[in-house]
Amino acid sequence: MSDAAPRPNENMGEPFPRIDARLKVTGQAPYPADAPIANLAYGTFAVSSIARGKINAIDIEPAKAVPGVLAVFTHREMAGQLEHPKFGNAAASSIAPLDTTDILHDGQPLALVIAETFEASQEAAQAIRVDYAAEQPSATFDAQGTETVAAKEASEQFEEDVAAGDFEAAFAAAPVTIDQRYSTPTQHHNPIELFSTTAVWDGDGLTVHEPSQNVTGWKVELAHQLRMEPEKVRIVSRYIGGAFGSKGPMTSRTAIVAWAAKKVGRPVRCVVSREQSCMTQTYRAETRHHIRMGADRDGRITAFAHEGWEVTSRPDPYVVGGTSTTGRMYDYGSVLTKVSIVKADRNTPGYMRSPPETPYVYALENAMDEMAVALNMDPVEFRRVNDTQVEPIGKKPFSSRSLMTCYDQAAEAFGWKERNAAVGSMRDGDWLIGMGCATAIYPTNVAPCTVRLRLNADGGLRLQCGSHEIGTGVRTIAAQMASERLGIPMDKIEVEMGDSSLPPAPVSGGSVSTASVCSAVIKGCASIRGKLFSAVVSADGPLKGAEPATLDMKDGAITSSDGRSMPMKEAFVAMKTGVIEDYAEFAPDGATPEAVSKLYGGQSEMKGGEKGEKVKYAFGAEFVEVRINTRTREVRVPRIVGAFAAGRIMNTRTARSQLMGGMIWGISSALHEVTEIDPRAARYVNRDLQDYLVPVNADIRDLQVILVPEVDMDVNPAGVKGLGELGNVGTAAAIASAVYHATGKRIRDLPIRLETLLT
Amino acid sequence: MRAFSYERPSDLQAAIKAAGTSPDNQPPTQAAAQFIAGGTNMSDYMKLNVNRPERLIDLNKLSEPAMTAIRVDDAGLHLGALVRMADAQEHEDVVRMFPVICDSLRLAASGQIRNMASLGGNLLQRTRCEYFREVSWPCNKREPGAGCSALDGVNRQHAVLGGSEACIATYHGDFAQALIALDAEVEIASAKGSHRMPFADLHKRPQDTPQIETALSPSDIIVAIHVPAGPWRRSRYLKVRDRESYAFALASAAVALDMDGDTVRGARIALGGVATVPWRAKSAEEMLTGRKLDEAAAKEAADTAFAEASGRKHNAYKIPLGKQTLVRALLETQDMKV
Amino acid sequence: MSSNPASPPNGVSRRGFLSGSATLAVATPFVAHAAEQAAPGAAAKDPHAKVAVSFNINGKPYQLGLDARTSLLDALRDHAGLTGTKKGCDHGQCGACSVLVDGRRVLSCMSFAVMQEGAEITTIEGLASTDGALHPMQQAFVDHDAFQCGYCTPGQIMSAVGCVQEGHAENDDDIREYMSGNLCRCAAYPNIVAAIRQARDDMKEG
Repeated sequence: MSDAAPRPNENMGEPFPRIDARLKVTGQAPYPADAPIANLAYGTFAVSSIARGKINAIDIEPAKAVPGVLAVFTHREMAGQLEHPKFGNAAASSIAPLDTTDILHDGQPLALVIAETFEASQEAAQAIRVDYAAEQPSATFDAQGTETVAAKEASEQFEEDVAAGDFEAAFAAAPVTIDQRYSTPTQHHNPIELFSTTAVWDGDGLTVHEPSQNVTGWKVELAHQLRMEPEKVRIVSRYIGGAFGSKGPMTSRTAIVAWAAKKVGRPVRCVVSREQSCMTQTYRAETRHHIRMGADRDGRITAFAHEGWEVTSRPDPYVVGGTSTTGRMYDYGSVLTKVSIVKADRNTPGYMRSPPETPYVYALENAMDEMAVALNMDPVEFRRVNDTQVEPIGKKPFSSRSLMTCYDQAAEAFGWKERNAAVGSMRDGDWLIGMGCATAIYPTNVAPCTVRLRLNADGGLRLQCGSHEIGTGVRTIAAQMASERLGIPMDKIEVEMGDSSLPPAPVSGGSVSTASVCSAVIKGCASIRGKLFSAVVSADGPLKGAEPATLDMKDGAITSSDGRSMPMKEAFVAMKTGVIEDYAEFAPDGATPEAVSKLYGGQSEMKGGEKGEKVKYAFGAEFVEVRINTRTREVRVPRIVGAFAAGRIMNTRTARSQLMGGMIWGISSALHEVTEIDPRAARYVNRDLQDYLVPVNADIRDLQVILVPEVDMDVNPAGVKGLGELGNVGTAAAIASAVYHATGKRIRDLPIRLETLLT
Repeated sequence: MRAFSYERPSDLQAAIKAAGTSPDNQPPTQAAAQFIAGGTNMSDYMKLNVNRPERLIDLNKLSEPAMTAIRVDDAGLHLGALVRMADAQEHEDVVRMFPVICDSLRLAASGQIRNMASLGGNLLQRTRCEYFREVSWPCNKREPGAGCSALDGVNRQHAVLGGSEACIATYHGDFAQALIALDAEVEIASAKGSHRMPFADLHKRPQDTPQIETALSPSDIIVAIHVPAGPWRRSRYLKVRDRESYAFALASAAVALDMDGDTVRGARIALGGVATVPWRAKSAEEMLTGRKLDEAAAKEAADTAFAEASGRKHNAYKIPLGKQTLVRALLETQDMKV
Repeated sequence: MSSNPASPPNGVSRRGFLSGSATLAVATPFVAHAAEQAAPGAAAKDPHAKVAVSFNINGKPYQLGLDARTSLLDALRDHAGLTGTKKGCDHGQCGACSVLVDGRRVLSCMSFAVMQEGAEITTIEGLASTDGALHPMQQAFVDHDAFQCGYCTPGQIMSAVGCVQEGHAENDDDIREYMSGNLCRCAAYPNIVAAIRQARDDMKEG
C-alpha cells in the first residue's frame, strides 16, 4: 500500500481514492472559469494605485477607443446602483467600490472594462487614467493615523478576553518567567486557481460561476446587493481550485460584474490577475503578540498572559482573536488575555487556513519552547507537565484530548531521543542541524447542514448537498458515509455539490464540512433505512417479523443480526416503490430552533470549540528537523513528522493529504510567506508568485503523518473532528524552536529568513 | 498589453531590416519594433505593460544554422543565441569543459522555462525589481526622471554593487555570471554587419541612465556566444536563495579555479544576485592568484570583492551574505574532484 | 529529443470550434513571410487585426483567427475549447499551464499562439487513450493522491510526462528539482514524487 493510503486503524475509514480523481487527472473537472458560455464578453478592472484619498477625475476615453471595447463602468455609471455589501456575513468587506469617489485602500476597483476579448479588456483597463487627490495613508502597525480598538468593543464575533485567576500576582510570584514579543506578517492565500466571476443572465434570473466556499451565503448576499429575490440567483462552484479561506467571503467584484453583464446584455467573465488578487480579495492580517509566562521550577505554568494586536481596514472590525484557544491550551494557574484591532488604510482582511490559531498558537508555542529552555526542561516533558483534561478558563472538560499520545507517537517516529539538547551541538558537514516540536490544535466545529438522497432499487444513490469540494475530499467522504450506512458500493454513488440550487450546507470554513455533511448524511440514511426496515419486517419475506433495531444494510442487502438477509431490490418490491428519496436536515446539539432556516438564509450557526458543556478541540504534535548552512544560513526542513488525533478519520487517504498539506503550509508560513507593504504608500509590493514565495517540490523531502485513533461521540453524530486546518498550526513554532536549537538565535518575527541568522 | 503586429522573418538580414531604424540612443526596450525568442521574459513584460512594442519580431525561425548550434573547437565553446537553456545545460561538452556554465543554467528558472528560453534572450532578461514590474510606481528605468521607488522602499532583493542614486535594480540572471567570469564574447549582427563584443561590455550600469540596460541598439541581434577555451573543469556556480529551487539568487557566485596543488594558478569569479549588472570580481581573482587557497584567503578575497558594496535598509545583509557565498563557492570549488 | 506527443492522441476535441473565432481565421491573410514584412518604412499593419494560425492540438488540426496578443494558453482555453490547461498566474511563475509543444514541456502562458505555427501541441485532454484508459502518469496521480483541489494537476501531469521523457526522473532528488516549476498550493508534493516514480517505471515498461 502506498504512503498515500495509510492502513486504517481501529475506527478509521478506508482510504478510497477520490471519486472525482479521474475528472481531475484528465482535465475534465469543470472549474468555474472553464464553463463554456456562448457569446461571452470579458471584463477587466482598473484599480487604484493609491491607498487613501479621492478620485478627482477619471479618464476612460483612451479605454473606450480600444477596438473591441463594449463598455467602461465607473462610479459615474454605478453610484447607487447596488446595495452596499454587509460585512460580517457572506461579504468580505463593507467597502463598496464604484459607488463612490472615496479610496480606502490600494487596489480598490475604480473601473470595469467590458470587451469582446480578454486582450482588449486588458489593454483598455491599462489605458484608463485617474487623477487622484491623494492623502497620506497609514499602512500598518506603528504608522501615524491608525486607530487601535479593543476587539471586544469592536466586534460582536469576539465576545470576550478570556481570563482566569489573578495573573499579575501569580506572574510576580513565579520563580521563572519569560516576557517576550512575537509577530506574524501579512499573508495571502494565493490558491493556484485565479479568482474569477462569470455572470450569465437568463431573463431576470442570474447564474454566477465563481469559485466559492459558501454558495448559499453568496446567493443571499448577491441578491441583496443586486436588489433581487435570492431565488432568482444561482451560484455554481462545482470544483474549486484551492480556497484556504480566500473563497469564503464574497468580494465586491461579483455584484459589479453581474450588474455589468446585465447592462451590456452579454454574459461576462472576469478572471482577476494574480497581481490584483492580493488587493481585491482578503488576506491574513499581520499580528503582534506580547506573552508573559511564569512557572514553578518543576515546570508547572502558574501564569499566562497573551495580548494580541491585529491590523484591519478602516470600516470593518475583522478580528483574528486566537486567545480563546491559547488561553485554554494548557493547565495554566492563571490567565490574562486581551485582543485589539488596529485600523489602517487597507483592504479588509479575512480568514485564511486556521485563522486565529496560526498566528496565536505560533506565539504561544514559541514561548513554550523559550520557557522549556529557561527551565532547562525537555520541551515534550514541559508540555506533559502542563497537559490537562480540563481547560483552565471555564473549568470544562475536553470532549477528548489525545495531545500527549500524539507527542509520544510523533517523538518515537521522529527519533526525538537521539536529539542532543545542547544548542549548536548537532551538525552534518557544513550544515547545522536543529530539532524542535510544537503543539497543533484546532477547535472542532459543526454546523447545520441539509442533504437530499435518492436511492433506487439497483442500489444507485444520488447524494445532493450544497457543500464545496475545495480539495478536502468531502465529495468522496460523503459518498463513503452513505456507502457505509446503506451498504452500497462507492461506484454506485453520485455526489453533487457546489451549487446553490442544492440543499444548503454551511460555509466550508472552520473545518466544519466533513462533520456537518456526514452528520446530515447519517440522518438521511437513517430515514431511508427506517423506511426500508419497517417495510421488510411487515412484508412477506425472510425478514418478516424481525425487530427493526436488529437490521442493518450491507453489501446490497438488508441483513439481520441473526443472519437472515434480503436483497435490497426485494425490499423495494416489499415497499412497493421504485425510488426512495429523503431530504434531511441536521442541526447540532445546542443549535437554535432557527438554525436550519438561518442556513437557508445564508448564515452558518457554528457550534463547538469552547462552547457547550465540554470543550471540543483536535490536537496534534509536530516535530521538525532544520538544516542551516554554516556560512550562508539558508534554512531547509528536510524532515517533519506530525501525529494527529481528530476523532473518527473518515478516509485515511484524504485525511493524510490534508494534514500533509497543512504541515507544508506551516513550513511555508515559517520560512517564506510574507506580503511586503511599502509603508510610505500602504501598498503591497510583492504581488505575484515570483515574489510571494511558497514552497516548491524541492523544498519538501521526508514528511510523515501519523493518524492517532480517537473516539469522540460528543462532537457530532459522525464522531468527526475537522482536520483541514489542524496541520498548519504549531509548525512555525516548531521550526523557530529548531532554528534556536541549531543556532542559539531565537527568532520571534516571521518569516525566518537567512538575513536574521547571518553572523 | 498594447496591440502589436507580428512578424516572423526567416533570416537575420530580414529580421534586422524588419526592426527598421530607431532614433539615436533609443534603447531596444523602448523601440517600436522589438524581438522575441523564447518569450519567457518578453511576454511577461508585455503583459505588465512595461515593454510596449508596436511590432513584435519573432526570431525563432531564423535559418542561420549558427544560431541554433552548440560547437566546440580549439578556440572554445560556441553557443548559438537561439539554443534553449535546457539544451546547453545538458550538452556533454558543456558539462565536461565548463561545469560553471552547466550549473548556472541548471539552477535557473524551471524545467519548462529552460525548455523555452533562448540563451540570447536569457542574457537580456530585464530586472525583476517589483517597482519596475508594476507600472504605477515611479521608476527611472521605465520613465527616466520619475524617481526610484526602491531606494527607500522594500529593497530586500536589490543590488549592493553597481547601483546609483537613480537605480539599484538587480540583474537576476545566472548564466551571465558564468559567461563574464570566463571572458566570453557575444557576436552581434547589426545593419552594419557582424561584430564581436566582450560580454563584460554588453550590460550597462545604471548610473544616471538606468533606462539604458545594454550596449545594443534596437536592430542588433545576438547571434552567438563564444567562450574561450580554458582550464576551467574545476568550476561551479553556487546560488543561495530563499527556497530550494525556482527562485532568484539572493547571492550567487560563479567560480573557476586553475589549481597547482593548494595554490591558485588562476581564478575567475563573478557575483550574482548582488549587483545591477553581471559582476566580475577581478580584484578578488588577482588577490588569490599565486596564493594558497584556504579559509583565510577565501575570506580575504570575499572582503576584496565587496569592498565597494553599499547596502540600504533591507538589502544590507547581501554584503555579508555575498561574502559568505563567495567563500563557500571558492572552498567547494577547490574540493571538486576533476 | 523526441518530437512525438507523449502518447497516442485521441484525435477528438469535444468542444472544438466553440468560440467561433476559428471561422474568422480562414479569410484572414496570414502574415508569415519576412519578405512582406521587411520593407523599410512600410506602414504598420493594423495591430488589432486578427492573425491566422494553424497548429495541431492532440493530433487534430486547428486553424484559428486570433488577436496576436493571445497567449497559447488563452488560445487553448478560449478559442479551442480545451479548458483542461489552467491559468494560475499568467506570468510563468506557477506551471499550471504546462503543455507539451513538439514533445517538450513548456509554459503556454509565456508564448503567443501566433508563434506556434505548425506546432504539435499536447494538452491534458490528449493524454489518455481513445479507449479511455488513463496514461500511466494520470493513473499514478490517482493512485498516490497526488492532488487535492486538482487545479494545478493538468500542469503537474504534463510537466511530469515531459520530465520523465527528458530523463530527469531517475531518482527522487531529480524529480523534486525538475518538478519545482509546478507549484501545488495544496502541497501534495510528496505524493507527486511517488506518483512520478511509479509512472516512470510504468512508462519504461509500456
